[in-house]
Amino acid sequence: MPDEQKQTPPVPQDQSSRREVFGKLGLGCMLAAGAGSLAFGYEFLSPNVLYEPSPITNAGKPDQYPVGSVTTNAEAGIYIVHGPEGFYALSATCTHLGCRTAWAPELGLIACPCHGSRFNQAGVKVAGPAPNPLPWLRVSISDEGDLIVDRSAVVPPRQFLRT
Amino acid sequence: MSEKDKKFAAALDSDSRRTPVRLAFLTRRTSPHVSVKDEPFVMTWPDALFRIMVAAQLVAIALVLVSLLWDAPLEGLADPLQTPNPAKAPWYFLGLQELLHYFPPVVGGVLIPTLVVIALIVIPYFNVNIQAEGLWVRNKPQRLRMLAIVTAALTVFLAVLKVWALLAATLPMAALMAWSAGVTPDAPNRLRRWLFSKPLSFWIMTWFLIQAALLTIIGVYFRGAGWEWVWPWSE
Amino acid sequence: MARSFQNYLGDLRESRVWQSIFRSGSGPSNLHRSQAIQQNLYLHLFSVKSRRSSLAIGVTWYLGTLSMVTFLILVATGIPLMLYYHPSVPQAYADMKDLQFAVSAGLFLRNLHRWSAHAMVLLVFAHMFRVFYRGAYRPPREFNWVIGVMLLLVTLFLSYTGYLLPWDQLAFWAITVGSNIMSAVPLLGPKIRFLTLGGNTVNANALLRFYVLHCVILPLAGGMLVGIHFWRIRKDGGLYSGKSGDESQPQVSQPHE
Repeated sequence: MPDEQKQTPPVPQDQSSRREVFGKLGLGCMLAAGAGSLAFGYEFLSPNVLYEPSPITNAGKPDQYPVGSVTTNAEAGIYIVHGPEGFYALSATCTHLGCRTAWAPELGLIACPCHGSRFNQAGVKVAGPAPNPLPWLRVSISDEGDLIVDRSAVVPPRQFLRT
Repeated sequence: MSEKDKKFAAALDSDSRRTPVRLAFLTRRTSPHVSVKDEPFVMTWPDALFRIMVAAQLVAIALVLVSLLWDAPLEGLADPLQTPNPAKAPWYFLGLQELLHYFPPVVGGVLIPTLVVIALIVIPYFNVNIQAEGLWVRNKPQRLRMLAIVTAALTVFLAVLKVWALLAATLPMAALMAWSAGVTPDAPNRLRRWLFSKPLSFWIMTWFLIQAALLTIIGVYFRGAGWEWVWPWSE
Repeated sequence: MARSFQNYLGDLRESRVWQSIFRSGSGPSNLHRSQAIQQNLYLHLFSVKSRRSSLAIGVTWYLGTLSMVTFLILVATGIPLMLYYHPSVPQAYADMKDLQFAVSAGLFLRNLHRWSAHAMVLLVFAHMFRVFYRGAYRPPREFNWVIGVMLLLVTLFLSYTGYLLPWDQLAFWAITVGSNIMSAVPLLGPKIRFLTLGGNTVNANALLRFYVLHCVILPLAGGMLVGIHFWRIRKDGGLYSGKSGDESQPQVSQPHE
């Protein structure tokens, strides 16, 4: 008789709760592994080293830009403007969807070819769907007296550089 | 199934975990039945597969001919320094690009497409069109008032945002709906009677289809440099 | 010519080798025809019998079939194109020029791939609208409709990722604009864009990622979803024919299989 008792579990409640515990344990392990894979996947997919052009541009001597001129520096994707108050630099990338804008001297405006946004010389939007004005970028003078523009440093508008 | 409408009783006195017992419950209310009578069937092989092969060959021949006659476009090497003017996406995204001209990216590029996809997914789960009852069959005056309100609200909204392209499809659509509402079963106009029998989901989907087609056509043919409006024949 | 081609074909089908491959045997009986479907892994996606009314051209316009055919053409042309294509900057563009001028039939393969892609997008959209207007998405087919929506998205992503690969002006700026739409997603947008492009601008990393998505991940996803899509047609009671008996209720008993 004692043998038979061993073969059949005395209380069925125990068996189902044991199965439940292991089930939850297994599910928990799988969730943890899934979360870990997501985290590692995210880390793996974000490159740590980028071979992109430097955001800092040497725009040459300031005296090559006459007062009232807007000069496109295509390689850096910036405009260097020499206004009456001084120098400033604008990003040439449209704030709408990243198209490269172009200076249209006949209009006196900066125009985006993709969705028709227009900006004035100060980067303020005058037409089109762009949500923000063109950002002003930090301009400084190097020790050699060259204009240095940092595309990664956005400054508040109306910060002019006087030489 | 709640306790109340349970029309059967069942009891077990064996240990069901050790000795599985299969039970069939027969209830009075429902029973399996065959709703299809005398549907003619054919063998898939060869009847269906032959048709599929013919269809496949026709489309393959057509595509080969197109490929022999027209070359796929290839422009200059990618140049991050200069955006071509106009910069157009492939045709099936031009409707979206046209929307982006009117709305900020978060609305035109994210919100509207996401809502469209969600709307498409939920169609069968909200019993859309299952009865397929004509929109104007019941409560006609009330539904006509609803149509007027929705159309007016949409018109104001789109006019304020100056989204003329969307308005250009919405207004004729609403007019068509109203036109189809005032029909009698013995009306001589067959198109009008056919439209009368169409449910709301038909109208919404058709509105979406016309809208998408119109935006795409505008994007493909009517947009030039700087995404300005041009007439396709004005070259 | 005492023996015709038909005789040789008949002999072949009676041979031990043939019968070891195709177990259905040969013959015009419905048993043989059923076995031709049942005993083939791929054809097994079809039911043995089809409703005659669902085969008429006016019912489906064969749009689903034609979408699948364009997908197969795209696989068949895409794999040879991969042999002459390096997903690197600016080699990718030079490879396009090579395909155009230096590779035998390269131009034709690329044309066929490009136009089939356009045709596939068009056909998949048309298929969706056709299914909607006929009400073929109604229960029990509602989940297959959802799979269809996913397949539409896979189709669009396939053509979007493929669009970058030639690395010409068209490609570069379409993807620049598209990836900036991604960054308009609230909160996560810029992160999603960074992960998709593998950088801040559309450059070599982006080209490689799009190449892998276009040639491996999305076709596999599409293939698996297509498998479910076809299998569900059979499991949901065959092609919707719109006849009186085939309404919104699941078919309890039908002469299937």
